[in-house]
Amino acid sequence: MSEDGGGLTRRQLLGLAGAATAGAVAPAAARAQTPKADGPPKRGGTIAIRGVDPLHFDPMLTSSFKTHTALAFTHSRLVRHKAGPGVTPGTFPIEGDLAESWMQPNETTYVFKLRRGVRWQPKPPVNGRELTAEDVRYSLERFLTVPGNVLASTLRFVERVEAPDRSTVRVTLKEPSAWFLDMLAAPMAVAIVPKECVERFGDLKKAEACVGSGPWMLDGYKPNQSLSFVRNPNYFVPGLPYIDRVEAAVDEDAASRMSSFIAGKWDIGYDGGVVFRTEWAQIRDALRQRRPTLRTTDVLMNIMSHVSMRTDAPPFNDVRVRRAISLAVDRQAIMDATSEGTGALNPPVPAGLKDWSLPVGQLGDGARYYKRDLAEARRLLSAAGHGNGLPANVCFTTYGSAILVDQAQLILAQLKEAGIDARLDQKEYGAYFSTCFVGKFDSMAFGPQSNFLEPDGYLAQYLPGEARNQSRVEDAVATDLILRQRRTLDPTKRREIVHALQRHLAAQQYYVSIHSGLSVAVWESALKNYGPNLGYDLGGRLTAAWLDR
Amino acid sequence: MLRRYLARRLLVAVPSLLIATAIVFTLPRLIPGDAVQLMLAETSYAKDIDELRAKLGLDRPFHVQYVEWLGRAARGDLGESLWTRRPVVQELAQRLPVTGELALYATLIALLIAVPVGVLAAARQDSLSDYVVRSLAILGLSVPGFWLATLLIVLPAIWWGWRPVTGFVEFRADPLGHVVQLVLPAVILGVASAAALMRLTRGMLLEVLRQDYVRTAWAKGLAERAVVIKHGLRNAVIPVITLLGTQLPQILGGTVVIETIFGLPGVSRFLFDAINQRDYPVIQGVNLLVVSTVVLVNLAVDALYAVLDPRIRY
Repeated sequence: MSEDGGGLTRRQLLGLAGAATAGAVAPAAARAQTPKADGPPKRGGTIAIRGVDPLHFDPMLTSSFKTHTALAFTHSRLVRHKAGPGVTPGTFPIEGDLAESWMQPNETTYVFKLRRGVRWQPKPPVNGRELTAEDVRYSLERFLTVPGNVLASTLRFVERVEAPDRSTVRVTLKEPSAWFLDMLAAPMAVAIVPKECVERFGDLKKAEACVGSGPWMLDGYKPNQSLSFVRNPNYFVPGLPYIDRVEAAVDEDAASRMSSFIAGKWDIGYDGGVVFRTEWAQIRDALRQRRPTLRTTDVLMNIMSHVSMRTDAPPFNDVRVRRAISLAVDRQAIMDATSEGTGALNPPVPAGLKDWSLPVGQLGDGARYYKRDLAEARRLLSAAGHGNGLPANVCFTTYGSAILVDQAQLILAQLKEAGIDARLDQKEYGAYFSTCFVGKFDSMAFGPQSNFLEPDGYLAQYLPGEARNQSRVEDAVATDLILRQRRTLDPTKRREIVHALQRHLAAQQYYVSIHSGLSVAVWESALKNYGPNLGYDLGGRLTAAWLDR
Repeated sequence: MLRRYLARRLLVAVPSLLIATAIVFTLPRLIPGDAVQLMLAETSYAKDIDELRAKLGLDRPFHVQYVEWLGRAARGDLGESLWTRRPVVQELAQRLPVTGELALYATLIALLIAVPVGVLAAARQDSLSDYVVRSLAILGLSVPGFWLATLLIVLPAIWWGWRPVTGFVEFRADPLGHVVQLVLPAVILGVASAAALMRLTRGMLLEVLRQDYVRTAWAKGLAERAVVIKHGLRNAVIPVITLLGTQLPQILGGTVVIETIFGLPGVSRFLFDAINQRDYPVIQGVNLLVVSTVVLVNLAVDALYAVLDPRIRY
């Protein structure tokens, strides 16, 4: 059993299945577990949150968090990340969602047993019919084959999906993939969708096509304004969810969000349950006065910004130049200036992923490049033939974030002190996203990266051929280690490889990452059995929570 | 005569609209990154990009796309959003009333502030009230709308734990609440326009008040109100009306930020998102609407000249 008496963690599961032994895995019912301190659960009530306006409602046609955040309330997956106060933020134990249990008869085969009697939400065109293995097979097939699914590559190692009977799904992989269950559990992964909706609407973009088997049903959608969700009477975990309605008001303006939160409009932090540190510093005193019953805890984010470089051409193909850049950047000063001095330095796997990130102090020889040393930076530049200065351009977009602008300006100033005359090449968001974000720049780029809940997503940016490989890294050692960790099912051995990989990459400095901020998870004390975490699965984190007011 | 003039102006507006649509069609396609690249983002592969581009009709020659869009637009079909697949006309029909209403209130507020204050400043030239009003006008011109909006939202929350209405209240649901929610954003939008209009009203009225026929009116013993309002203001107001016509694009531009801050689901915010996403049909549809509105408003302003000044004939 897992730590809090619920289902098995992914690590425990792989420990059982890693040696290719066939073994049934217990179902997960952790969501119904309730800490005694919160008293007996209460049904009813409406929780108010800050929503984001979905791009559309087809989870397989966008990687936008705006769509996936909304669908975390309405759709189920085969497996999911466990949620609740017992889960440490930054860790992601896996439990069954639609899958009651699963087994791994060999390294490349997974057999999922579905819960029986699961029904779709009572909305047309599905009208609450039973959800079967064929629906799961259809969803996986669509995920892998629908044109325009940017996330399909996350499961590109899947060879075939079969539904031998109404409650069994068999997935065969082309090669062992240690992250398979993590990929399925991620809130951006395969939402199980009904075929009837795709047939009726052509795709799932329209709000009418938003029919799932998740804890809440989409009850209303007003573009740019709000989403409302109502309890799904057919939800497959008896008694859940406890909260009857979720009202999500769209608010795209930072000042407006802060004032709404101070005024008590929302029950949890307005960025998926958290408030970023710099904004927290602005509203903390007002909140103490106006909302003294709020509960808080610090959460280290997995949002990681970095400087990327064209390492396939001079001057950045010279490791001395890359190390000099890393030594020139004063990460602590940036953290002090833009995150109120809180946060953690990021090795290649962000510190927010506690199970996999190696603390900077344990990076071996590479650790020294995370601490500013201007003299050494100048010496390295001089040794590389740039003693008279190194001109560079830094491709950048603001993302509408003053913090990011400050960070970019600080980095430029710090590089200048080392003799690197870097100029900001600011682009409009769309232009940046379609060029510099995918490695189409001449010199350097700076900005935040996509977020993942497992390390493999971050490591992929070191793999040749990956569009996320902004720095165009071609490193045989790194490639070998990345592929090896993907094939290593034993979590302990895999962690050793991931750590070795981080040590190697730290010394190479293909990307010069800065810190991740410590955000404040905040929620109304009337919200019980709630535990914050990273990721978009707010719906999952609220499923077993209740309101006591 | 006026009818012929308006018909002629409408005819002249057609090439203007065509040029505007061609520019609007071209410019978003010239900036790097198209909708497909943004949709597929980091994990895209050449085959996916080509397939999706073909599916969305973006692989055809530019001029073919333009002519086809123009033909459909002439029939009232502005196409579908590349991202949401919702018809652009339907989206505009939902959002236009919000922006239209906001712009109307902002214009009314601008006029309600500008004209009386401008008249007062002119009638009391170089008095304390004139100086105060002129200083306020400079302040109104200088203060950015987004900054004012931010203050008006944040400070009440910090001081009293209160913030203006969040979320859009539809007229059908609560007529009073609907209007009330638009007052604050309309005031913010109207202030800058009011400042410009007030300064022009004052300046024009001062000039008119120095004319001989005004001196005659004073000599006849008419009351100040009659001299300033009836003889002075009516003749001074034509440039103000002209400026009002040119203020409309500025007010519409201002709504982009104001709609975002106040959470209003209007056209401007829709356009802003569409530009970020390279949603060409939406960009084209909204801009066609804006250009048409500006042309029509300026036409209406021209027609108003004749009403305000009977000497003007077309």
